[in-house]
Amino acid sequence: MAAALINVQKTVRKGEIIEIKTLMAHPMETGFRTGLGGQLIPRDIIHRFVCTFEGVEIFAADLFPAISANPFIAFTFMPQQSGTLTFRWFDDKGGAQVETARIEMV
Amino acid sequence: MKRLAVLIACLSGPVCAQDSKSVSFDKRSTFDLMKPETQAMQRDDASNPAMLWVQEGRALWQAKAGSTDKACQDCHGDVASMKGVATRYPAYSAAQQKVVTLGQQIQFCRAQEQKAEPWTAEARPVLALSALVGLQSRGLPLAKTGPAEARAVAEGRALFTERRGQMNLSCAQCHDDHAGQSLGGAIIPQGHPTGYPIYRLEWQDLGSLERRLRNCLNGVRSEPWPSGSSENVAVQTYLRERAAGLPIETPAIRP
Amino acid sequence: MVSHVLRAASLAAVLLMASPAKAQMIVGDAMPEPLAGAGDAMRGRAIIIDRQKGFCLLCHAAPLPDQRFMGNLAPNLAGAGARYTQAQLRLRIAMPSHLNPDTLMPSYFRTAGLYAVAMPYVGKPILDGQQIEDVVAFLMTLKEPAP
Repeated sequence: MAAALINVQKTVRKGEIIEIKTLMAHPMETGFRTGLGGQLIPRDIIHRFVCTFEGVEIFAADLFPAISANPFIAFTFMPQQSGTLTFRWFDDKGGAQVETARIEMV
Repeated sequence: MKRLAVLIACLSGPVCAQDSKSVSFDKRSTFDLMKPETQAMQRDDASNPAMLWVQEGRALWQAKAGSTDKACQDCHGDVASMKGVATRYPAYSAAQQKVVTLGQQIQFCRAQEQKAEPWTAEARPVLALSALVGLQSRGLPLAKTGPAEARAVAEGRALFTERRGQMNLSCAQCHDDHAGQSLGGAIIPQGHPTGYPIYRLEWQDLGSLERRLRNCLNGVRSEPWPSGSSENVAVQTYLRERAAGLPIETPAIRP
Repeated sequence: MVSHVLRAASLAAVLLMASPAKAQMIVGDAMPEPLAGAGDAMRGRAIIIDRQKGFCLLCHAAPLPDQRFMGNLAPNLAGAGARYTQAQLRLRIAMPSHLNPDTLMPSYFRTAGLYAVAMPYVGKPILDGQQIEDVVAFLMTLKEPAP
């Protein structure tokens, strides 16, 4: 499942604080549930989310099994210039999901 | 005795509900029973996890598939042309000679027009397309059924009102007679299918009305109807008639 | 003459084949004969609060301060032991449909006349005789009515 939904306005005025909302499709399997046969379903979660703007980290979060499936992460940001936001989700399998979004200063 | 009293009232009064036990006097969506936080989650498309499936649906709408190498878009154009469609389902399909759900109609298109491999009933792509098409009708009222659906509505009403399962309960006993009261910690909803497919927080997943009905039947310890069966479709058709007038919320969030 | 016969018939014991081995007698609005051995009130309490076994709290409130999220579809169980005899409680759990055919309350000892029961439950009552005796034993301890 490799699908993310990024919600961020495309144009920003100087001094404006914007809200960035992200949704990532992921089962966030806690590792505490048992399957039909009674065996433990192994943990499989996104454990870290990082957002950079033009290469500079502006937001990061460590996630744990308490976070529900399809995690929703929202945060605010005041850009000083036009640029590209890069979002990275790191999961237990060692993979990383990467998405980008461009904002223009007007 | 109560039924007799209502019947007499129906015959003597000028305006009467079709079903003596229907909820047509004060139809409420389950949305009204949810906590403000959950309602806010549904209202904001940026936070509604179901929009992940809608996004997938948009990609599927444009994707060529099957031996005819056609996309939904090739016949239907932009998905906005689907506005109003979800208000009319389940509906009688002349081509299939039976009443079908929106999901079944999508599957039929896939088989007939795209000549592609069928998906299972609850498969992610079917739900994604159902959510996408349903979204085009968001805010529009569910339409009343017509003569072609009458038999399914009658069958669905019979299934809705008969006792079943080890617990010997009917849908109507809870969802008509006791809607608004609490079963454990949960307020019993009237149970209108305004938001399907729904993102159910309990499932952490998007699911169809059929999946939700299966939960109900398991709850009263009754044997669920087979997937896609005429019983399933009949109940869904009755539920549409029962909910007619309520606006579509697809894709809704439910607890 | 006819009315006498009818009266006798209505007061007479109603034989109820609730299980293959035993016929349960209903006398008036009670089931005087125990369904199994002596009931254990603590076991009964455990059944009442278990949402998979008795699931009583889905519909009934009860004087159980350690329990939360009780339903309000049925009367509060507080005082049940003062309002009813053991035999009356036994009938109201085992076969409440006998008293009110339209009741919401499941008949916990019933196996006959049910429709479309899920495979794992076919032919089985919701609670067996001993469990019902345990629940009755606990309900008999609830002497204080709800405030």
